[in-house]
Amino acid sequence: MSANGAVWGRVRSRLRSFPERLAACGAEAAAYGRCVQASTAPGGRLSKDLCAREFEALRSCFAAA
Amino acid sequence: MLRPAGLWHFCRRPRAARVAAANLGCREVTSGVSPRGGTSSRALNIFDRGLKRKQKNWAAQQPEPRKFDYLKEEVGSRIADRVYDIPRDFPLALDLGCGRGYIAQYLNKETIGKFFQADIAENALKNSLETEIPTVSVLVDEEFLPFRENTFDLVVSSLSLHWVNDLPRALQQIHYVLKPDGVFIGAMFGGDTLYELRCSLQLAETEREGGFSPHISPFTAVNDLGHLLGRAGFNTLTVDTDEIQVNYPGMFELMEDLQGMGESNCSWNRKALLHRNTMLAAAAVYREMYRNEDGSVPATYQIYYMIGWKYHESQARPAKRGSATVSFGELGKINIPEGEKSQ
Repeated sequence: MSANGAVWGRVRSRLRSFPERLAACGAEAAAYGRCVQASTAPGGRLSKDLCAREFEALRSCFAAA
Repeated sequence: MLRPAGLWHFCRRPRAARVAAANLGCREVTSGVSPRGGTSSRALNIFDRGLKRKQKNWAAQQPEPRKFDYLKEEVGSRIADRVYDIPRDFPLALDLGCGRGYIAQYLNKETIGKFFQADIAENALKNSLETEIPTVSVLVDEEFLPFRENTFDLVVSSLSLHWVNDLPRALQQIHYVLKPDGVFIGAMFGGDTLYELRCSLQLAETEREGGFSPHISPFTAVNDLGHLLGRAGFNTLTVDTDEIQVNYPGMFELMEDLQGMGESNCSWNRKALLHRNTMLAAAAVYREMYRNEDGSVPATYQIYYMIGWKYHESQARPAKRGSATVSFGELGKINIPEGEKSQ
């Protein structure tokens, strides 16, 4: 940890904006969540990047918010 | 530390804790830190106790510590209820992992004569809550109690034993410092605690990164708790569970509150980075899978309350085999006379 905590402060303030930005992207988040949840149903298998498309949509919405 | 572009550091470690040299009003008996590797052959080393101490120190010196105290206050009041349920008063009591003294504020002078507040974090002891019982603050690691045998009438512990590396040994030490006919009342987090957060992080990490690492610390199962208490030598055990569900606006607020409570992850095998994408994915999954009707997300805290007694001749013991004078078969033959039914 640095002496004056400048980096820590910056990182924390960026993190604090996450909840509002996520709230602004409710639809994309729900779509991604549904995709992941569907893979937990019996017979489904969750592998890497299974829901990559939905996540890309969420990420671009999040970055734009 | 190398920071590749596009990823950044969600660091759970708190700001560097500045420990004051003077201990105002605290009598420092000992400050024990668990040695690396352990001294006994069965010692486990899951948690970094030094880091846990720093996290608790940081949490205790925040500008608004009361904001994060709600869970510990609630469990502290329930433990105080259990202390009141015992129709006895305790001249000398110990609160292990007391934090800011959440149990002491609900108890009164008649029940407890003198209260030893023991915690691993000095800032928590310095900012302790008001209580009418005379207290002595001691800096103690829960696994290395510096007290003599048969000292305390009552030992309480609220939500701090889940960070102990060697729980059997800690319980044995508690048994050791108790007087005969002394009682231990404890509360620990149970296996279902924060299962929503655990599952969301697991799913998101698997989908985003291809694998996952544990972010929630392992909790004791309720059967094991009974066995551990029995092995430590306690009699007349009682273990009951309780679930407290707290609603949060979202996953980030939950994680911030956990950090504010001093409950951040400190296991040696924790991952140092939680990628921004994984966090975002986990928050989305959490919201979708577990949200309530009003849009908030719940977090479950499962608490196990345990009561154990140290043996004393006056305590009731199970009757000897073969000493029964009536048989269960006669239960059906019990007739309550009409006139005496109202008794």
